[in-house]
Amino acid sequence: MGELSRSTIFFSDQHLCYADILSPSQVRARIEVAVLNFLKALSSNSPSISDLSLISRNSSNSRVSRGLLTGDSWIFLSHSFCTRSLTKENSAKSFIRVWKVMEICYQVLVQEKRVTQRELYYKLLCDSPDYFTSQLQVNRTIQDLVALLRCSRYSLGIMASSRGAIAGRLLLQEPDKEVVDCSTCGSSGYAISGDLELLGKLTMGTDARYIIMVEKHAVFQRLAEDRVFNQIPCILITAKGFPDIATRFLLHRMCKMFPNLLVLGLVDWNPAGLAILCTFKFGSIGMGLEAYRYACNIKWLGLRKDDINQLIPKECLVPLKPRDLQIAKSLMSSEILQDSYKEEVAAMVQSGRRAEIEALYCHGYDYLVKFLATKIVQANYL
Amino acid sequence: MLYLATTSVSDSEIHNLNLNLKESNSVGTLTKLPSTAKNGAKFSGTEVSVSISKSLDDLLAEVTCFLQKVQFSCLSADSTNDFSNYKEISVNYSFPWHFMQMILLKVPKVVMELLVGGDDSLGSQIGSRILVIEGSSVYSPVESIKCLKLGLKDYVRKHQTRFSVGENLKVGTGVANSSGSSQGNSQVVEAVVIISEMSELVPSSCIREQDMKTEVLYFEDFVSCSIAQSSLDALTNINWKSYGLALRSIANHDGSVMLEWENLLPDFHIHIAIHCYHRQVKQWVAENSLPDRNLVRKAVKCALDDLKENNQGVLLSRRALKMCDYAPDLAKTLAQLILSSNDLNFQEECCSLLGVQSQEVNMDNVGNCIREKIISVIGLNDRNSQKNKEAPTFLFEDDCFQKEHFMEEEYHEGEEAYNFLDL
Repeated sequence: MGELSRSTIFFSDQHLCYADILSPSQVRARIEVAVLNFLKALSSNSPSISDLSLISRNSSNSRVSRGLLTGDSWIFLSHSFCTRSLTKENSAKSFIRVWKVMEICYQVLVQEKRVTQRELYYKLLCDSPDYFTSQLQVNRTIQDLVALLRCSRYSLGIMASSRGAIAGRLLLQEPDKEVVDCSTCGSSGYAISGDLELLGKLTMGTDARYIIMVEKHAVFQRLAEDRVFNQIPCILITAKGFPDIATRFLLHRMCKMFPNLLVLGLVDWNPAGLAILCTFKFGSIGMGLEAYRYACNIKWLGLRKDDINQLIPKECLVPLKPRDLQIAKSLMSSEILQDSYKEEVAAMVQSGRRAEIEALYCHGYDYLVKFLATKIVQANYL
Repeated sequence: MLYLATTSVSDSEIHNLNLNLKESNSVGTLTKLPSTAKNGAKFSGTEVSVSISKSLDDLLAEVTCFLQKVQFSCLSADSTNDFSNYKEISVNYSFPWHFMQMILLKVPKVVMELLVGGDDSLGSQIGSRILVIEGSSVYSPVESIKCLKLGLKDYVRKHQTRFSVGENLKVGTGVANSSGSSQGNSQVVEAVVIISEMSELVPSSCIREQDMKTEVLYFEDFVSCSIAQSSLDALTNINWKSYGLALRSIANHDGSVMLEWENLLPDFHIHIAIHCYHRQVKQWVAENSLPDRNLVRKAVKCALDDLKENNQGVLLSRRALKMCDYAPDLAKTLAQLILSSNDLNFQEECCSLLGVQSQEVNMDNVGNCIREKIISVIGLNDRNSQKNKEAPTFLFEDDCFQKEHFMEEEYHEGEEAYNFLDL
């Protein structure tokens, strides 16, 4: 029963837990209800200090949704909860942290502003140094708040980081602004804003046939500088590593707007590279209440084991790190990963080696473009 | 040798007894002597004579020490033999030896006469004092637990240092009794716990080592005596941690019990008195049954619980104290949130729940009010935690899935197993 319900075509909507995308006033109302409920419990005849129950963001609460017609799959979170309680010694501090972030978000919304996670981190570090010591801790607490109030991070007034970039055969227009031709943006491309509302309002036009997601910024720059999109009709997009929500959002939007475009991923040949591809493909658990919306059907172009065997000299291969092995283990045990991907991971582990995309330059600086073109023409992607 | 002559109002004769203390056992040998007729007179009283070969000063020091601890009940002149009609007397004692009073019950028709005689170079001297009875009884009828409570309060007040300011004693009492045998002779254990706190102006140099210790005053059948082993065991087995106390050691020096505490605050003192007795004494020789260990434990625990219940913030368990540490931060966060709102209805509703008047709404008032409520709830639930495990309250109760799929997880910082989709 457990296995069946975890991977389901039907009734997944009943199991789905999601964060609403709400207006500032709606989020303020939810926060006000939270405060009032807390005070009511404190002042009642049998008074108590309410616990916070949050949707669990771990693999045991994750479910796979498989599309019936499209074969698309994505990860979503279901209705299992974890508790932050003042009464339990090991969660008392995290309990207080949620309230502190709630206070700041409420004030941000009242002032009709937006802040980044980084700005939030510094504010909390100064105001409450006993409770917040790292950016990671702040980010996790924000996710706790999302899981408590069931509203998206963006709705809380927190902007995603502006990390991603886009280049190539795409015309973009922000409301009331000039049209931007992303093929003329130079090697750094057009910076993807962290403001999801803005991204949602972009008008887009393209004559490309492919979208190529590139893992690393250096490779993106090389391809943009070589104007690969003049040879292959494509749009280049990168998150410069770990896929942030804004980049995922924009990629998803482009897929929806241009359904005939094929989305291809170019990542290093190592477990971390494949994990990045999978995050674009399936979503993530950490932001599982929101990320499921932005999954897209991206295919794995390269690097893959055949490329390694045929094209990469052995000298260019370096040993896998312990972290790679951890990620590999997690990928192998995942139920959402298709078998062909798992075979690739097994090959990585067996060889004990990894390779970067840049290793292809041993054949010449323009080899990468040829590599891409060949693979696309041969439809050599998983 | 100790000679006793005692009679109650309903007795027709005076009972004379002889207690030979030279015997090796602690009880001594009690011998009944021929009674003396009362010839129809109605009175009650007890006369104790002791002859000891000691210097008068030593004797007086010992007697004074003994009497400092004695709290016993006398029969009032017109009561029956059922210990239910005490009247209480409070007593002062002080040096020098020729001016001595004793702790007694306040009974209008009862007096005590102390006769002290000794030989010295000028021949035998007899000094006599009719002791002054203070005031009249205010507590009537009074159970023996209340006597014990008032007696210990008195004792604590007398022993407070010169820095103590005013009445700041916190008292808890507890009684436990056994179901009793067929003869109706049930065992009763009473316990009184007092916490006294000195004023904040005490310099730390004035704190004595004995302030970190508690001497347990122990009584059996209305007499101060050495603690029974079963009672000592009972004290060791009490879960002091649930009252925020850490017992370092428990020492028995010649029947006098000292509890030594760890990390006690300098201005914080604990005083304990335990009294074990039998509800009905049919014979002069008390039944030779030791105080039940469970009864002693139960009585002391009741006293600690009583103290905790009636005094907010006292004897909180370590867990509750840790929670209280968070209260100011949580209160400040909530207050700041409420006051940053531009929705006046929301602010009003919050303040009405807190009982803060609209004209008094400011950060300090709201914050303090929330903090006090949180601390009071922590204290309340700390007292109740052992009695019943309540289901936790959640902030949003309306999610119908919550109760069906609730999976309690322990929160581990940074311990989660890596999942590639955890990005």
